[in-house]
Amino acid sequence: MLDDSFLSFRNVAKKYGSFSAVDDVCLEIDEGEFFTIVGPSGSGKSSLIRLLVGMDEISSGEIYLRNRRIDTVPANQRPTCMVFQSLALFPHMSVGENIEFSLQLKKIGKRECKTRALELLELLQLPQNFYTKRIAQCSGGERQRVALARALAFDPAILVFDEPLSALDYRLRKTLEKELKDLHQRTGKTFIYITHSLEEAMVMSDRIAIMSNGKFEQIATADVIYSKPKSRFVAEFMGDVNLFKFTFDENGSVVSPGLDIDSEVLNRLSPEWDNGYIMIRPETFVFDSNDRSMSSITGRLKQEYELGSRIQYSVELDSGDIVTVEKLREDRLNANLGEVVTLYFQIENCHLIPG
Amino acid sequence: MRTSRAMRICLYAYGCLLIVFLYLPLVSVAFASVSKARYLTFPIKKYSFKWYSVALESSTVSELFVTSLTIALVVTVFSLIIAFFGALAFARYDWRFRTWFQKLILLPIFFPQTVLGLALLMWFNSIGVIPSWKTAVVAHLVWIAPIATLIVAIRAYSFDPALEEAARDLGANTSTIFRTITLPLLMPGLISAGLFAFLLSWGNFPLSLFTTGADSTLPEWLYAKMVSGYSPLVPTLGVASIVASLTVIGATLTLIRIFRMTRE
Amino acid sequence: METYNRKMGLISALPLACVLFLAFLAPLVVVAVFSVMPAKVFGLLHMPDFSAYAVFFEQGYYRSLLWSLGMAFVSTFILFMLCWPLAFAMVKIFGRFTTVITVAVVMSLFVSENIRLFGWVLTLMKGGLFEGYFRLWTGIGFESPLYDVPVIIFGLVYVYLPFMLFPLAQGIAMVSDDLRQAAFDLGATRIQVLLKIDLPLAAPGIVVGCLLSFVLAAGALAESKILGGQAVIAIADDIETAFTFGQNWPLGAALSMILILIIGVLALIGISRVDLDKIMGRKF
Repeated sequence: MLDDSFLSFRNVAKKYGSFSAVDDVCLEIDEGEFFTIVGPSGSGKSSLIRLLVGMDEISSGEIYLRNRRIDTVPANQRPTCMVFQSLALFPHMSVGENIEFSLQLKKIGKRECKTRALELLELLQLPQNFYTKRIAQCSGGERQRVALARALAFDPAILVFDEPLSALDYRLRKTLEKELKDLHQRTGKTFIYITHSLEEAMVMSDRIAIMSNGKFEQIATADVIYSKPKSRFVAEFMGDVNLFKFTFDENGSVVSPGLDIDSEVLNRLSPEWDNGYIMIRPETFVFDSNDRSMSSITGRLKQEYELGSRIQYSVELDSGDIVTVEKLREDRLNANLGEVVTLYFQIENCHLIPG
Repeated sequence: MRTSRAMRICLYAYGCLLIVFLYLPLVSVAFASVSKARYLTFPIKKYSFKWYSVALESSTVSELFVTSLTIALVVTVFSLIIAFFGALAFARYDWRFRTWFQKLILLPIFFPQTVLGLALLMWFNSIGVIPSWKTAVVAHLVWIAPIATLIVAIRAYSFDPALEEAARDLGANTSTIFRTITLPLLMPGLISAGLFAFLLSWGNFPLSLFTTGADSTLPEWLYAKMVSGYSPLVPTLGVASIVASLTVIGATLTLIRIFRMTRE
Repeated sequence: METYNRKMGLISALPLACVLFLAFLAPLVVVAVFSVMPAKVFGLLHMPDFSAYAVFFEQGYYRSLLWSLGMAFVSTFILFMLCWPLAFAMVKIFGRFTTVITVAVVMSLFVSENIRLFGWVLTLMKGGLFEGYFRLWTGIGFESPLYDVPVIIFGLVYVYLPFMLFPLAQGIAMVSDDLRQAAFDLGATRIQVLLKIDLPLAAPGIVVGCLLSFVLAAGALAESKILGGQAVIAIADDIETAFTFGQNWPLGAALSMILILIIGVLALIGISRVDLDKIMGRKF
């Protein structure tokens, strides 16, 4: 059964007794893609990539790379290379020896190994004299780059990343996220990245897969996941989002506590289900509008949070629900805590999610 | 990286084989101790507990037991005290000569006991001390106190200094801290160390040989009999010695359990 | 806090340090002095001479030293080969069974060495456990392997097994699984992982284990006497004889000094290269 995909998972499952870490997963990844799998701890993302690189055995299903089955190939013969969360740099070898490790195993000559290692040092923006440096003397960011160089030296078809940045501080993480994206563009290799931070994924990826309980909730580009999440889980994974439950009763009218809109307005979004959630992103609301086509809700301003370039407001509605609003600094609301405020929104900017 | 099923089975079998190999000679000794004959051959023709009653009635044997027991008990007490403080110096406090201290402690462990025993004999002689069970205690301590210290040190390594600092912050002085925090935390290590100290002293031969003087311990007697000619009391006392060790271990574990239950 | 640590450290170290200075280092000094005393004296107030050392060479005592060192070397090598797979399994594979093995091995240490070696005599002798029952079942008898060199090495391996096993296990525990998996992922075969990752990173444990086994075996006495009869004389045996039957303390001291020097140099080289804090699992 041939097809065009570069890497495909077909009904892949990993079971421990009755527990499915990976539950009947199907996935296709294109060559040269930066593909990120996002999910909370225990969602199965680590298990899935371990199956890909060969550190665990598949319970059922197959993995194909360029139409060849690789799940039966031993890990040290697969064209995959993993960058570990702990980096797993060999402490008893120098930076150069670490990078050259895979080359030396293939019995490539010393001079050629060194040339390649120096090339990679340059690609990763490390000084050439790092070649003889001990790992223990390198900083966190430098070690990350050595780990990347080592993996690239192996020249894998797929580079797999296991939450490599989660242990780093904020600034270093932000810098490395951008560098990884650059590296991806320069090398053109297929990157498969896992992380628990959707924000991180959105910076770097071509496509994102949200994973929960061993299954994929949604696979799409960053833009689509942000604006059109398919389920409540995906929507809430992004952070603060306002979800208003709605139900159509027997008469066809809408019951939506807190939001108080009629079915005519809701139908503009063409709901496909009898009940679900109306998702309104915090930045969708405006505090002031003369536009009659906009809907509105009122409540009391409960709290105000400074977030640097933006400000976040908590507004308590009469129904008791708390609505989160985010505005840029220049659009600051001048009101005191406890005051009544009106929030305006365009229903077309909202999104429906099944219940 | 998975180990194949076949390899795992081999390794488990290897481990079991090791245990059998370790205890096989003791099986022989146990068999020999219940053989009726005066000169031992396998298969054993007649079984009897005769030699045990001979041993129990012999005054020499009880003397040997008492000497071995006394030495072991004294060694244990001293080892524990020394090890408690030594472990703290080894692992807990950052002081100037700590690494030197660590290396110094290891030397007696790496030392052939026969030579150590003889060296001590020469030493006692030159300072005019007559060897007796008391000098044997000192000899045992030289080797056993460092081991006890290492055992407690392992425990001391996972000891968070913040606990002591918090206590001091709340107003406790050094001796209170030792009593209420350090000691309880190191207790499991101290119990293991105490057990080790007792049992290593109980079974020790090379050091006892040269430093007990006129007194004699059980292992010394066993050795003398072994090289001079077979006596059926040898396996008998060997088994008795092992049983005594097991009793001590059992008693200690029971005491620990009772102690734990009374606390809850 | 620093001065508190310094003070406490020094005070805590005193009891043990005192014991060692008075009962370990001092005796060694005495041995050294005795070794340069004239033959067969029992006091230290004589003019030094090196006759005892000359005797070492002239009367062939170097032979027993070489035998002891040789047997120690062979038994250490055998121990390493035997214990490595087991230590590896204990750390990486066994799980609960590791505790069983640990307890079993530790318990065997508490039984007096003499009893255990004697047990082997009973097992291996003609008419012993093996030969007796074998003859009973098959009608064929065989010669006992006792009273020869191989059985001495067997005895050394048997007695000093724990001293190789536990340090090796400790060393292997220092090799993180991540590193092994990374090497494998980068294309290494199992043997390459063993040679390039396991052995180098477990080095501290390997050094301690080999050193301990070698040093203890070199100074061993009971194995050659009980199992080996008089087939080979170990250096410790000669030392003991010089003291007891020979009534020649200076000779015994000289022989001891030679052994101590060899062992001391090896031990110091080994210990100084190992980071004790790391191998014992320092956390704070």
